[in-house]
Amino acid sequence: MIARLRADARALPVLAALVVAFGIAAAWNPTFAQAGTYAAIYAIAAIGLSLLMGNVNQISIGQAGFFGIGAYAVAYGTTSWTLPQAAAWPLAVLLGVVSAALAGLAVGFIALRFRGHYLAVATLAFGLICVGVFHESAILGGAIGIQDVPYPQFGALTISGYPAYWFAWAVAALVAFASINLLRGRTGRAFETIRNDELAAEVLGIPTRRFKILAFAYAGALAGLAGAIYASFLGIVVPDAVSVPLSITLLLMVVLGGSGSVSGALIGAAILGVIDISGHQFENSREVAYGVLVIVVVIAAPGGLFGLLRNLAKARPRPPLDEPGATRAMPAAATRVVARAAPVESGAPAGVAPLAVEGVTKRFGGLVAVNRVSFALERGTLTSLIGPNGAGKTTLFNAISGVGTLSDGRIAIAGTDVTGWQPHRIAALGVGRTFQNARLFGEMTVLENVMAGSFRRERTSFGADLLALPSARRASREAIDRARATLARLELEPLAGTLARDLAFGDRRRVELARAVAADPWLLLVDEPAAGLNANERATLQRDLLALRDDGVTLLLIEHDMRLVMSISERVMVLKFGTMIADGPPEHVRNDAAVVAAYLGTGA
Amino acid sequence: MLQLLVAGLTVGSGYALVALGIHIVLRATRIINFAQGEFTIVGGLIALTFVQVLHVNTWIALAGATLVGFGLGLLFERLVLRPAARSGEMALTIATIGMVSILLYGHALVPGWGSLPQPLPAFSGDVSDAVAIGGASIQIQSLWVLALLLLALALLYVFFDRTYYGKAIRAAANNPAGARLIGIDVTNARSVSVGLAIALAAYGGTIIGPITLVGGAGGVVIAIKGFVAAIVGGLESPAGCVLGGLLVGVVEKLIQGLPGVSYGISDPIVYALLLLALLIRPQGLIGARSAVRD
Amino acid sequence: MLLDVRDLHAGYGALDVLRGVSIAVDRGEMVAVLGPNGAGKSTLLRAISHLDANVRSGTIAFDGHDLVRASTVDGVRFGCLHVPEGRQLFTELSVDDNLRLGAFSVDRRTLDADVAAIYARFPSLAERKAQTAFSLSGGEQQMLAIGRALMARPKLLMLDEPSTGLAPQIVEQIFALLADLKRNGTALLIVEQNAYLTLQHADRAYVLEGGVIALGGTAAELTADPRVRDIYLGGSVT
Repeated sequence: MIARLRADARALPVLAALVVAFGIAAAWNPTFAQAGTYAAIYAIAAIGLSLLMGNVNQISIGQAGFFGIGAYAVAYGTTSWTLPQAAAWPLAVLLGVVSAALAGLAVGFIALRFRGHYLAVATLAFGLICVGVFHESAILGGAIGIQDVPYPQFGALTISGYPAYWFAWAVAALVAFASINLLRGRTGRAFETIRNDELAAEVLGIPTRRFKILAFAYAGALAGLAGAIYASFLGIVVPDAVSVPLSITLLLMVVLGGSGSVSGALIGAAILGVIDISGHQFENSREVAYGVLVIVVVIAAPGGLFGLLRNLAKARPRPPLDEPGATRAMPAAATRVVARAAPVESGAPAGVAPLAVEGVTKRFGGLVAVNRVSFALERGTLTSLIGPNGAGKTTLFNAISGVGTLSDGRIAIAGTDVTGWQPHRIAALGVGRTFQNARLFGEMTVLENVMAGSFRRERTSFGADLLALPSARRASREAIDRARATLARLELEPLAGTLARDLAFGDRRRVELARAVAADPWLLLVDEPAAGLNANERATLQRDLLALRDDGVTLLLIEHDMRLVMSISERVMVLKFGTMIADGPPEHVRNDAAVVAAYLGTGA
Repeated sequence: MLQLLVAGLTVGSGYALVALGIHIVLRATRIINFAQGEFTIVGGLIALTFVQVLHVNTWIALAGATLVGFGLGLLFERLVLRPAARSGEMALTIATIGMVSILLYGHALVPGWGSLPQPLPAFSGDVSDAVAIGGASIQIQSLWVLALLLLALALLYVFFDRTYYGKAIRAAANNPAGARLIGIDVTNARSVSVGLAIALAAYGGTIIGPITLVGGAGGVVIAIKGFVAAIVGGLESPAGCVLGGLLVGVVEKLIQGLPGVSYGISDPIVYALLLLALLIRPQGLIGARSAVRD
Repeated sequence: MLLDVRDLHAGYGALDVLRGVSIAVDRGEMVAVLGPNGAGKSTLLRAISHLDANVRSGTIAFDGHDLVRASTVDGVRFGCLHVPEGRQLFTELSVDDNLRLGAFSVDRRTLDADVAAIYARFPSLAERKAQTAFSLSGGEQQMLAIGRALMARPKLLMLDEPSTGLAPQIVEQIFALLADLKRNGTALLIVEQNAYLTLQHADRAYVLEGGVIALGGTAAELTADPRVRDIYLGGSVT
């Protein structure tokens, strides 16, 4: 499991023990118990926000809006509905959580269309609109809000006072447990890839937008749940209490504790919740102190307090890889070539070109990077795309894999027009791609990187992840086994447990190739695979590429290493200033006057 | 009607300046300064201190507050933004949110400032002085606000568009690598930009001071309306920001002036305007689509 | 020697690109650095100007100053100007503004005359004075980038692939300009793909391959050397 999350899971029992200890100590002091209860409530919302911020890199300054939805749903439901309390309360909570989740979906859907800071402003707008609606709705009590909200009731049992502490923390514990399960499963792995390198995740077929929206919905739902419990214990809901200051407080909590982890959220919530005991006379100084603390944390300890603790703990050597499949015997691996699991059956039906590019043009302002390029690849061939620097080769790759938009032209993959498609959709067709600068997921191990490659083939659901059902665990194990097999075939096994960012340069490229291959593509775009490799590594690369080709994969290579290109390509295309100037067998191209001129200039 | 228009333009001038400040910081640092509203409030309070402690008139207080604002901006960039930038863009944005907390609650702790809004003496005569134009009674102070807004815009335009150094700052924001390659110190350029943005905030907080008072907890709301203004008008365009600010101010006052409508409803409507703008035309009235969409 | 690079090891992050490169450029000389893609030519310039490559070891001396520890801005003030491959123009500003800003670090009393001189050399830029840099064609952008660098009165002008995207006549014009600059005392270090044309104008050249200097000598020597072509086009070694 991802090292970061392993630490997170280990920290939880410790935190649980602290909560229990504090609870016992608070039995004699109602103020402490109350503060602890609010800490639990904040924690529930903070966990959601922590996941959102830490795992998909999105700031939300509108969580109070979801909180308010949950709070008002419970307040309204339990005071206005004519059902018996035992039914009204759970129903109202359900209403609150579901509404908040749906709102989260909507906000995510809208906000994610924008870049960075516009997104933050959109979340702010959402929070404000919620407050505005609460403030102006007569049925929600307008500026005065709703009062006399009853305590939660289960049959004859009313939860109030001291037991509220245990109830709130029980809910928080369930949320923490579910969230950790989510992070350990397929969803968590997807989040981690998005967090590390969104583009690389997209070209592996991971629908990044979908997961980001999911994160919003989850964060919204949890905030709604927190709000629901808040209303039940405080007894009053007013618009001002669920406005921007609360959103800021939640944000501060998560940053302080450490975004991205469940433990961090708990730590942050506990600290702020407990400090709140100091009462109102120091409110101003307290808030100023929070602000200063957040700035200090952001500068000096971006991982929050949890991150700091982890760094201190890292003084000990890294524990050995303890994945479930580790002790199982490896299949007889053997050959050094990259053999596919099965020969290519899917993909291009015979007779249809795996890739057909028609009149593709890409302009950047006055610059024409790719100029009306057209070609079609034949199935199961290895073609190289060469050309002087700045010729537009990578731009062409980007166009084919759906990164950025075309200024003109069409791209067809196995007969399907994919012009304008999102990268993950194109990847899902069976297209793989590597990048010029080996975009690995730095904070994941080599094994986890390669697992990400076969992401599309994992079959499990969000719910199964959440509850850590056997089906989810099985899907994880299978993914691990598949990844190990790929590593074995490429002789990368010894590196399985190494963090990608610690890899030597030559290994990075090989791991990226392994990851692309793990997705089982039938069309593979490889961008400068030989750059930075020594002679031995290049020989291995050559063998691997040819083996892929022999298995039926259609390969398109950008490469500068002429010796490699000339020896393995069946066809060479030459691009100069965005225009195709030669296209044919290697020897033919090498002696083409135009090509020589392109590389060496005229006047020889 | 004219009265509402002028009132709208007056309060809109404040929003315009906030939006413009956000724009300048955005250009220089690539992030949104969520604390721009708070700096506006603090700016007005600084002017108040000039008036109360140094016994000068509001004009001198305006100049003083603007200068102090510039200095605050330099400090802000040096002590908060620059170190936080090393931790990434998200960290930087969070740092500005932390700054909101510090200023919002901290300003009340400064002796003489407190947490309630206070009046700033008028720029001329008395705050209630009014002149009759077209059948409506227009406050003289409103006219001053508009005039001062135009003055600020003119000065900024001249600086950024007609002076060598101003263009160098724009260049540094446009392409930091290119700027370094011809010898422009990008870090200094960034510092000056932030200094100007905060100076602008202080200026804005002061000119609306006589009418809308200085201090109080309104910083967050002003900041938000500044965003609305920037997004409606066009975050990436200075003209857009100003246009947006005036528009938002006018819309707000018009709504408030409608008979039978509760005063408080203008705010949610303005926020809904923000959402509408994001949905329909996120690049603003004056802006290019490519700057916004993913 | 105006520029003296000794045993330079440099790269980006985990990647080592230059593995012990030594080159020198004297006042009034035009020196070319040739070689296939990925050889490290751009990295060499980027390390000298401190644009982004990291120097791991070695020395870079320029006119008596140590460039290894100097910033890009310092280098400009010493008179070492770098026109990179991406040109890095100020896309939002006009052609005229871009040119004028080039003189940021030098005495601007003769600014107008200096700008007029650039326009005289590049008439197509004069035509587009008020247009934004973004709207220029590739070739025009290249000319603007060179013009902007010239405004800083460089002692040494380092150009990374100046002929990219330019029509042959314009390339000739550029090289004529460079010859002119050389005559007037500006030293030139040119990284180019267009080997043969560059060799026609340069005094000396180095051929970089795989991060080390594979060949070096006068332009005449290298023009006659068949190994140059082999290095570029993967020759007979398969």
